[in-house]
Amino acid sequence: MNYDSERPRNTFCGRTRREFLWEAGGAFTSVALAGMLSTDDFLGAQTVAADGVTAWKNPLAAKPPHFDGPAKAVIFLFMYGGPSQVDTFDYKPDLYPLDGKTIEINTKGRGGTRNQGRVVGPKWQFKQYGECGKWVSDLFPHLGGCVDDIAFIHSMTADAPLHGSAMLQMNSGRILSGSPALGSWVNYGLGTENENLPGFVVMLDPTGGPISGAKNWSSGYMPASYQGTVIRSNGTPILSLDPPPGMSRQAQRRLLDRLREYNEEHAEPRSENSELAARIASYELAYRMQQHAPEAVDLSGESEETRRLYGLDQDRTKEFGRRCLLARRLVERGVRFIQVYSGGNHNDHNWDAHGDLVKNHEYHAGGTDLPVAGLLRDLKQRGLLDSTLVIWGGEFGRQPTAEYAEGTGRDHNAYGFTMWMAGGGIKGGTSVGETDELGNRAAVDRFHVKNLHATVLQQLGLDPNALSYFHAGLDQKLVGVEGAEPIHQIVA
Amino acid sequence: MIGATMPGCAQQRGSAVAAGPAVLLALLSAAPGLAQTAQTPADGIKLFEENVRPVLEANCYMCHSDPERAENGLLLTTRAGLLRGGERGPAISTSEPPMSLLLQAVGYDDEQLQMPPSGRLADADLEVIRQWVQLGAPFGGDEDELAEVAPAEDAFEITDADRAWWSVRPLARSDVPAVEDPDWPLNPIDNFLLAKIEAAGLDPPPPADRRALIRRASYDLTGLPPTLEEVEAFEQDRRPNAWERLIDRLLASPHYGERWGRHWLDLVRYAETDGYERDRKKPSAWRYRDWVIDALNADMPYNEFLTHQLAGDELANPTAASVIATGYLRLGIWDDEPTDTELAQYDDLDSVLDTTSRVMLGMSIGCARCHNHRGDPIPQTDYYRMLSFFRGIAPYKVGGGNQPTPVNYTGWIPANLGTTDESSLPVDWGPANLIEVLRVKEIGPEAPPTHVLIRGNPHAPAERVEPGFPLILGDADPGLEPRAPDSPTTGRRLALARWIADDGNLRTSRVMANRLWQYHFGRGLSPTPNDLGRFGREATHPELLDWLATEFTARDWSLKSMHRLLMTSRAYQMSSRPPEGALEVDPGNDLFSRFNMRRLAAEEIRDSVLAATGRLNLAIGGPSVYPPMPAEVLATASQPDKAWGETTPDQAARRSIYIHVKRSLLHPLLESLDLADTDSTCPVRFTTTQPTQALMMLNGDFMSEQARALAERIDGAEGTVEDRVAEAFEAVLARRAEPVEVARGVGLIEELQREERFDAEAAFASYSLLLLNLNEFAYLD
Repeated sequence: MNYDSERPRNTFCGRTRREFLWEAGGAFTSVALAGMLSTDDFLGAQTVAADGVTAWKNPLAAKPPHFDGPAKAVIFLFMYGGPSQVDTFDYKPDLYPLDGKTIEINTKGRGGTRNQGRVVGPKWQFKQYGECGKWVSDLFPHLGGCVDDIAFIHSMTADAPLHGSAMLQMNSGRILSGSPALGSWVNYGLGTENENLPGFVVMLDPTGGPISGAKNWSSGYMPASYQGTVIRSNGTPILSLDPPPGMSRQAQRRLLDRLREYNEEHAEPRSENSELAARIASYELAYRMQQHAPEAVDLSGESEETRRLYGLDQDRTKEFGRRCLLARRLVERGVRFIQVYSGGNHNDHNWDAHGDLVKNHEYHAGGTDLPVAGLLRDLKQRGLLDSTLVIWGGEFGRQPTAEYAEGTGRDHNAYGFTMWMAGGGIKGGTSVGETDELGNRAAVDRFHVKNLHATVLQQLGLDPNALSYFHAGLDQKLVGVEGAEPIHQIVA
Repeated sequence: MIGATMPGCAQQRGSAVAAGPAVLLALLSAAPGLAQTAQTPADGIKLFEENVRPVLEANCYMCHSDPERAENGLLLTTRAGLLRGGERGPAISTSEPPMSLLLQAVGYDDEQLQMPPSGRLADADLEVIRQWVQLGAPFGGDEDELAEVAPAEDAFEITDADRAWWSVRPLARSDVPAVEDPDWPLNPIDNFLLAKIEAAGLDPPPPADRRALIRRASYDLTGLPPTLEEVEAFEQDRRPNAWERLIDRLLASPHYGERWGRHWLDLVRYAETDGYERDRKKPSAWRYRDWVIDALNADMPYNEFLTHQLAGDELANPTAASVIATGYLRLGIWDDEPTDTELAQYDDLDSVLDTTSRVMLGMSIGCARCHNHRGDPIPQTDYYRMLSFFRGIAPYKVGGGNQPTPVNYTGWIPANLGTTDESSLPVDWGPANLIEVLRVKEIGPEAPPTHVLIRGNPHAPAERVEPGFPLILGDADPGLEPRAPDSPTTGRRLALARWIADDGNLRTSRVMANRLWQYHFGRGLSPTPNDLGRFGREATHPELLDWLATEFTARDWSLKSMHRLLMTSRAYQMSSRPPEGALEVDPGNDLFSRFNMRRLAAEEIRDSVLAATGRLNLAIGGPSVYPPMPAEVLATASQPDKAWGETTPDQAARRSIYIHVKRSLLHPLLESLDLADTDSTCPVRFTTTQPTQALMMLNGDFMSEQARALAERIDGAEGTVEDRVAEAFEAVLARRAEPVEVARGVGLIEELQREERFDAEAAFASYSLLLLNLNEFAYLD
């Protein structure tokens, strides 16, 4: 028998999907049909929510923004562990001659509060790049070539100089767990444009997740529909995506067709319960996801030139390069928010350079500089950079002084650090804010993580001070009930 | 803005308390070149117009100029605004200008109070502001108001409307309403519902069939499916009290405590780790879980159940069980490496208070941590008065580093503490008889003082408060007495527990009666069970709720008695099929014109799969188990190789409530099926429908293994393939298969063998997998 495995048979007892759901009618009572029917305007117009009045909205259907925002998607390159600003993008020439000298300086990190410290001069030289003449350290020769597309924020501040709480803040706006991640907010606000893939994707480092694991992409008090989905860059991309051994796609199609027959019979006398129809549809969507997700992560169609651009031909860059290339492919396929981690696990598996700064940062910058530059160039040449907001940075920065009596290791620093953004309507070739002359604390135009988050939402066309979710008696916002301004200086 | 902190609501920035002279010296010396030049009021106004106003406009007015939206209520556009100040107090001091809060803030030397947030002003600007403040901060013109100014904080007052709010009115037992159809009601609950159904012009709802009823009751009371034999026995039981007998049997089952214990664990955000960086395991947290199960199985009166959790150690005769119950106070997330130690301790206490007030009182007292409650008559002082009941609790951690202080929250106690007659048989404190427990400990008979914290900031204490109950709930005297010097605790928690557990408490019985209704009927009479205040939703049947609450106390707070009452109503036994006209008249089912269908909860689905395949291990209690975790999920942990434990296959097949609850690494199948959030109290679970659930239910290792297990159990050694299909169907759905249903299953098996070259066992396992994915399996009528 010739079996078309891509098409469900006897769909809804001979009716079309539209007819079936129309007949099902009545009240949609759950957070259901995630993304399944988003393209079907007919349904959107005909169905109603549990109160019987409000037009039904599928939680992940693409939604109009508050206003026209240039960005349609976000790629957050998370440099987990905290890169040192004075060794990367925050040029402090006065710091070099102080190397080894003990000075009065107020710092706070893992080792507590200190009033003096031994300066560790920047371990790399800086050069000027681009038309804007940006000083960039020798750790990033490739990114140096992209500075005219980048806006640097040198005066970032966060509330906690410790990984767990600072990670949560960078990801969810709060140092306590339980709040939705930035990616959840974006999907809550805009929905997703591809019903066959998750709208919020996280790609982790091969050494492991960051501290606090899944809390960093949790939807917190929002429904699970908005939580991040971990996609692996090698092997099966999504948990349980592959059918079990021996189950071919066609065999699974047969199973699903029979399952649907039973389920439709069960649903028929229960037509007012839309969850039943939604669950039937969710199996079809899962089936389609099995087809689309592997395609999305299959790099075999990428040209040699593209692979080189991302450093897939080099041992030290191929791992992160692969994830950057995947990020571009996911953007092309309508995924709304993608987070890529550089570094995982603990200590020197990430940017947390407490011991040997040179070894640590050479390793992590060396693995990411070329791929990140490749990503920016590739997005630009494909015309995607204008609509894709790229964010680079960690949960905090590092101190200009040494953590221990000996060595070059630097402790955490939430008082001042650098992050950058590119694309998505960001003004390239700009730098805002300054740290003090030692690069220790944000001194001029200080910005908080909340301002960064507000900027992301604004570029996507969402008003950061209006996007809210009612929970525990409050209209909760990503930027907190007190609100926050976007960083206007970096917006084109 | 001056001051900027809202722990628990927004970002964490500290605040200044006192301005040390050093701060001002630093400021004065900041611009030595500028001497004081302005001397007269006219000079001051000129200084303001020419030098100060431009600085304020450029740097401050974005947040401090709109009277409606000024940050922290501080307005810098008028002198009155400065004098009144914001939530931190006046911005300028006319008696001691150099001590003015405004100068501290712009001076930037205090870590906790730095304005404007974007960066320190230029030295010259600072100097003119200082001069201007020294002159009394004149504005000139009409703005120069020197009149006495009222304090900024809103005057708090409880209004008549506040006292008339439905959930704080005295509990009244209304008359049972009359109904047109006197035969329908089986008990007064039915009168309350039917009166409204009839008023809407609807007929009384028809009854559910017996199979639907026994499935409904079995899952509701035990979280487990009935077997086919049980279903058929019930269908054939024609005794008039067959239903009551079924309920009694289920209530007597030890699995009742597991099902209802899980509801409670959702409410108290039960987990076994601290949730932070290392997500450390809390020692023996599982004993609290077992205590909950045991207490519910024993039908411990609900008010006693609460008392033990709040103050089981402060009872006259504490037992090992009552001490374990205080693990309740240790279930929250704990930051083991806080940036601000003091704030972390308040966060911990806040979590305890917020959970306690929402769960036991249905009140969002936590909203009053930083300011008076915006909706309910709960002043900020109420929050701190209530918080002070917990102020004696020893902190999770003392000192620096990331090592907690286990002696503050664990202990070794005799397993039979308090259960023997101490006069004749001393409790054995020998090592062999000791068990480790997660428990509350206090620092001694005296608690540290509790202050109202401005904007919730521990570094900005204001007036001192003493323990007290929320004003709107009567403000009774807590009756605290001095404790003996050697007393390990303050006795405060016991005082709080006694008040909550009192029959006369306006909230306790209402809140739990609402929850009982919710868990049986699919939504609470008030759909927001953790908040019966103005931010919640009003009860659709407030008279019924009050009637149930009074019934609850009259029945000595017996939960099992309440289950019987609710379940023997006609309402509980009605069909989920909407009667004629019900969907039009009552689309949201506000009237309970039909029973609410529901999807099984995450644990019920997993447990039911194991029950259907015969693999379920029904052992009760004990340390948590670690079913295999997919490698993909382990890879999300920061230390994948240390993230999870190992368990034998037999133990891995325990009920889901016994799976180790690690906050950063939740069981993926359960999590995808809407497991309760582990960080804050979860009063109602979401029911989402997502393709990732379908992927796990179709492709996950657990499901593949269970499909094979079902095929092994129904081995088909005797009989036809039709018989085998029917038998598997019956094992999963607990009903006889119709011929067409058998034929469909046989059809699939044959197709897979013929077209896909499956062998007979693989084909049957595929059919088994199909059965476990049926909507009929996952949904209750």
